[in-house]
Amino acid sequence: MLKGAAGFGAAALAAAAPVAALTVPATARAASGNAAFRAELVKIPGVGKGSPTDADWQKVGELCLGPTKANVKPGEFKGVELTFMGLNNQNLHNFLFRGFLKPWEAYTGATIKWIDLAQADYNPRLQQAIATKTVDFDIIEMGAPFEGDVCGKGLASPMPEWVKQQIEVDDLVNYLKPPVGTWEGKSYRINIDGDCHSWNYRTDYFKDAALAAAWKAEGHKGEWAPPKTWQQVNEITKFLKGKKINGQDAFGYLDPAKGWGGFGFYFLEDRATPYVKVPGDKAWLFDPDTMKPLVNNPGWVRAIQDAIDCLPSEPADQLNADPGTTGFQQFLAGTGAMLSWWGDIGQMANTSDSSVIGTTIGFDINPGSDTLYNRKTGKWETPAGGVNYAPNMAYLGWGVYVMARADSDPKKSKAAWSAAAHLGGKDISLWTVMYPSGFQAHRNSHFQIDEWVNAGYDKAYISGYLGSLDKSYNHPNSAIEPRIPGIFQYYSVAEDELAKIYAGKATAQQGADAIAAAWDKITDTIGRDSQLKLYRASLGM
Amino acid sequence: MSDVGPVVDDSPIGSAMRGVSPARKRAGRWLIAAASVILLATVLIQLLFVTGVTETGFENWRPVVYAWLLWSVSIGAAQVIIRGERGQRALFILPAVLFTVAMVIFPTLSGFYIALTDWNLSQLEGRHFNGLDNLKSLFHDAYFWNALGNMVYYVLAVLVQYAIAFSLALMLNTDIRARKFFRVAFLLPFMLSPVAVSWMVGKSMMEFRFGPLAGLARHLGWDSPSFFTTPMIARGSVMAMDAWVSIPFVMVLLLAGLQALPGEVMEAAKVDGASPWQSFWKIVFPLTLPVSVTALILRIIFELKLADIVITVTDGGPGGATDTVSSFIFREYRERSNVGYGTMLAQFYFILIIVFVTLLLAGASRLMKRYS
Repeated sequence: MLKGAAGFGAAALAAAAPVAALTVPATARAASGNAAFRAELVKIPGVGKGSPTDADWQKVGELCLGPTKANVKPGEFKGVELTFMGLNNQNLHNFLFRGFLKPWEAYTGATIKWIDLAQADYNPRLQQAIATKTVDFDIIEMGAPFEGDVCGKGLASPMPEWVKQQIEVDDLVNYLKPPVGTWEGKSYRINIDGDCHSWNYRTDYFKDAALAAAWKAEGHKGEWAPPKTWQQVNEITKFLKGKKINGQDAFGYLDPAKGWGGFGFYFLEDRATPYVKVPGDKAWLFDPDTMKPLVNNPGWVRAIQDAIDCLPSEPADQLNADPGTTGFQQFLAGTGAMLSWWGDIGQMANTSDSSVIGTTIGFDINPGSDTLYNRKTGKWETPAGGVNYAPNMAYLGWGVYVMARADSDPKKSKAAWSAAAHLGGKDISLWTVMYPSGFQAHRNSHFQIDEWVNAGYDKAYISGYLGSLDKSYNHPNSAIEPRIPGIFQYYSVAEDELAKIYAGKATAQQGADAIAAAWDKITDTIGRDSQLKLYRASLGM
Repeated sequence: MSDVGPVVDDSPIGSAMRGVSPARKRAGRWLIAAASVILLATVLIQLLFVTGVTETGFENWRPVVYAWLLWSVSIGAAQVIIRGERGQRALFILPAVLFTVAMVIFPTLSGFYIALTDWNLSQLEGRHFNGLDNLKSLFHDAYFWNALGNMVYYVLAVLVQYAIAFSLALMLNTDIRARKFFRVAFLLPFMLSPVAVSWMVGKSMMEFRFGPLAGLARHLGWDSPSFFTTPMIARGSVMAMDAWVSIPFVMVLLLAGLQALPGEVMEAAKVDGASPWQSFWKIVFPLTLPVSVTALILRIIFELKLADIVITVTDGGPGGATDTVSSFIFREYRERSNVGYGTMLAQFYFILIIVFVTLLLAGASRLMKRYS
């Protein structure tokens, strides 16, 4: 495969002919849902044929211009310059957007300036722009948790009706429909992602006869099989300590014990939500009447204690492993049997050059718990049905938002919305959820297994992957993240305390109490009344 | 009758002032007054506007900056108009003073004000003055004191760096083969960004699974070569990376000091039968002491600001064992948008550094006197 600048030039030339051939018919058949068109689209470059390149991204952008052409005349935005702020994680996100939008720029005449940010730089850059009233971008790639900071301050532009039609909003999965994506009744967000944490496990571990025999020999209950509860996860993790698989050290679950700019806290949430998220009660992070943190209640403390107990059975460097390490340097590189992560893992396991696990991966909804702490009664209860599942809708996915500053000029506003709509289009989204992009399935139309098989996915593999996402999205007891201002401040300070706990400098209860005290202080600094109001609103209470 | 004629001022000042008419002086004073009024009015209008007292103001603070620039130019021009040649001389220093006021003194004072507020970037209403609350929080902040405690280890490590740097400098000052090559080679780490070193060494070479240093450690019998999971080893690993980048700087300073030593003294010592150790301890070390003190103080000041390697590799962990004050401030400010408290931490640490370095200089001065 050609890579690098020279390679890109050659690839662009090589790609020009087929793109030109496809462009005309693509315009004609741009009506979304056209099966033949989508079948052709998802074969760029084809699953198992290496990581897509910039030439592929441009090709996809070119093919998916149909909806744009229906709303915008050629050259209509000539002279308009837009600034786009987004991420550069794993050389994806903005890198893809550049490729996707290059044909859009050529068609509309607009030009785009790019602000690329590392994940850890994103939050402070955005917060500073907001607080100092120096918003210097027209379009932003942003996660739903920041809506409190941005939409709550009137900095975003409400979505025009024509954009809703162009991107076919009705196709979104249910949990991404209002109130998510809306603020005070107005829609702001073009969904390009549908985040939740789901379960990834190595199938070869659970097919290994030696491990199965050892499991029985050691007197563990039940068959040697992928776990359904966190209690089983903990048991398997401790069981695997000192065992071997394929001649290498075997490990069970991988807890990210090092902070990741606040994002590491989601992984404690994965352990905690089945313990604390009671069906029918939307609140699991704060008390919805007082905004008092729930993070130091017995359910949360047990989740922390579970992690403490498992860490000695995990790889020796686990205390210095952040979620990026657990996902990409450990699990995809062949270390560890189980991992809760965003959909990137399943998406990359078989399509990224950096993965060695290929199809030896299975998927499921995050584990549940056979016991549940009810914050209202203050007691541990046995869940109805025996197991309480509460999949963590961590981050609620990335979206593209147009800033209010673009509205000062109608032409610029339309250009910004057109660019955003191009990225959030139905067909282009099918491609992004199939290949390494940082985005996972988020539309009902993404769950057509045949389209994935046609792209080169193994049917059983993709059925499991999509099934785990589908079950998580539509779970009646899913844990929805509160979209309140400064949510990452809460997570970040919790990461510092968790690092102390995991290093043995505080007990689970002491650490949890310290997190709760720090959260209370943040709430008071930002404003308890306004936080409480926004918290309740974000949960639809 | 007095025969005393008109007093003629022949001094350089008097001669410089001659030829400046009262009208010209008046014009100069008017210029200062007008520029000052414009500056004050601009500041006042904007202050009243941003505090919500009035509804008229500027979109941003840029006009105030322009008014400041106008005032600065006017002050300079007025010096020449009022004081003639003396005013021209003042122009040599005045721009630097005004620049320092604008770029150092004003931001510092502004920082002190921000440190007395509860400014958090997520607040809907903006910052509020909260007096010394941030300072009180700081005194009860276990993370700050933990990081400050770690700084003691890091500063002590500078002495080890110094010893290694001195050894290397002595070696490079002798007539060894390929001396020029080694001088350049030893300088190379200093040319690298600490962030690059963090990635290349900390996150790649020392990586637990595939890092070559971890592989070597395994080969040497360390079963689980995890460089960043136990407090002492993690701190030592950060110190090692920091030393790798910083030792060349100390080495170059010491080498310059060694090369400036008078050759006759060394020759005399040799003639008198001094052993190499006696030559070093009785002659070389005392004579290079001023350079050593300079190198150590500079390194300690740099060390007190250590952050990049910690942020990139350990994020302060495990459990705060490698945290530095700067990396903690970085987290407080960047990840938690806690501008008021973060600024208080920075200002407090700034004052601590000033006090510490002042004491260090006083101690160094005494030491030098004792040796001289």
